Amino acid sequence: IWYHRPAINEELLQSLPNLKVVASAGVGIDHLDLKLLSSYGVKVSNTPFVVSTDTADMGMALLLASARRLVEGHEMAVSPDTEYFPADWLGVEVSGATLGILGMGTIGYKVAERAKAFEMKILYHNRNQRKKEEESAVGAVYCKKIDDLLQQSDFVLLAVTLTPQTHKLIGKRELELMKPTATLINISRGLVVDQDALVEALRNKVIKAAALDVTYPEPLPRDHPLLQLKNVIITPHIGSATKKTRWVMMEEMAESIEAGLAGLHIPREVL
Amino acid sequence: VSKKVQAIYLWWHKPVIDKELLQSLPNLKVIANSGVGMDHLDLKLVASFGVKMANAPRAVSSSTADTGMALLLASARRLVEVHNISISPSMEYCEADILGVKVAGATLGIIGMGSIGYKIALRAKAFEMSILYHNRTRRKVQVEQAVGATYCKKIDSLLQQADFVMLVVSLTPQTHKLIGKRELELMKPTATLINISRGAVVDQEALVAALQTGVIGAAALDVTSPEPLPRDHPLLKLKNVIITPHLGIKTDKATYMITEEAAENILAALNGLPLPSEVLPS
Repeated sequence: IWYHRPAINEELLQSLPNLKVVASAGVGIDHLDLKLLSSYGVKVSNTPFVVSTDTADMGMALLLASARRLVEGHEMAVSPDTEYFPADWLGVEVSGATLGILGMGTIGYKVAERAKAFEMKILYHNRNQRKKEEESAVGAVYCKKIDDLLQQSDFVLLAVTLTPQTHKLIGKRELELMKPTATLINISRGLVVDQDALVEALRNKVIKAAALDVTYPEPLPRDHPLLQLKNVIITPHIGSATKKTRWVMMEEMAESIEAGLAGLHIPREVL
Repeated sequence: VSKKVQAIYLWWHKPVIDKELLQSLPNLKVIANSGVGMDHLDLKLVASFGVKMANAPRAVSSSTADTGMALLLASARRLVEVHNISISPSMEYCEADILGVKVAGATLGIIGMGSIGYKIALRAKAFEMSILYHNRTRRKVQVEQAVGATYCKKIDSLLQQADFVMLVVSLTPQTHKLIGKRELELMKPTATLINISRGAVVDQEALVAALQTGVIGAAALDVTSPEPLPRDHPLLKLKNVIITPHLGIKTDKATYMITEEAAENILAALNGLPLPSEVLPS
């Protein structure tokens, strides 16, 4: 499966009696009904670790682009109407700012490693606290309560898996807890955010900006308010979209499929 | 009024400091610059009037390094291009086609390893990049090791190996048009040139030709000659170019710190004390 296509539903499974394995590109498996697949005796695999670095890079790319108003700046630099660059045109400083990471798995941790080099203060919230050595290595401080992280962060980065618990994790309440100068960065799944609440928060300056690699749906309808807001950067779910990584993902998927067809242990099986 | 002026705080190269102005301000003691680059000032001329000069080196390094990394990442992952696709009224994109370049494991060549270049190396190391650097003088071993940077005595060697070439030099007669046709041809056809130093460090016409003919892959420029470019300049039309409006130090925090540094220098000069960041004509 690439980009959630084809959709794996009961109809499809019934029509493919000899289907043995579904290899999904990427790490997220929220688009798959694991119980349903299991009931048909179909095994599932993903490509968890290979995507981590590029996705973390994307998170930082969005953070920097948003903070320094890169897209806006480029537009100004190339616009036919520009006569001079205004002296009072400023962005927000990244070095020394506070980054709150929601979801400190492999991807979240790689984001922390990168953010540390920018002298950022790092807060994180996770289902479980990470080991002390892991925290010290990146200077990350655990926030048991998500509210503490939201209230102190200049940048809030979502790096959680989409589960029933993380669905609409960031809603009106959470956005209102954030600083009015804060930026929300989403590299997880569109559904982790209450998108309507996000639009309202951005319109009413409850938060300052958003940078989203993921939305719901993808792509958004062309008349969606998020596309019109000046303080929003949207990228088309390209977290893992580099030539090298996609190549490895294909190799891993092929490997999993071959193992599945041969009745052997499947690398990267999702249970 | 002109007899009362003792200090000038130069904001974005204004006012222009020429002989006429200096002659009209007999009591001018100090010019404090809002940034680190001094290439817009005739240092000898100013010194000949007995006026001290200062820049703001400390405040700029993190912000400028951040800009360099922002441009590197935006270029590698085609951020501006894909944002425009994402918000465009027509939805004619196929996700599988929008592939960027993997930054981890790629080679960054830093030309100019001063404070800003060093901060870039620190950041690039966290992105698991291999780092090469070229500088007037080699840096100490401990400094190189701290960021895993390898010295390239000859700029050619750096240009041939780097996937990303980042210019972080001051503009001097030696660095004027440092990157020209020859240097661009030494670079990989897949390489990206990132400029956060001064537009004049690059032979702009040669750059346009190189980008148009695929001699290099892409460019990301925070600085050009002039700023802004004329509206019909070819650089504005190239798809593989990101241009930003000299935003290297344009953050709330950096602006504050620059102004603080300038104020410190001005007060020191007016009180006859040593300036914290005096710049002398070399």
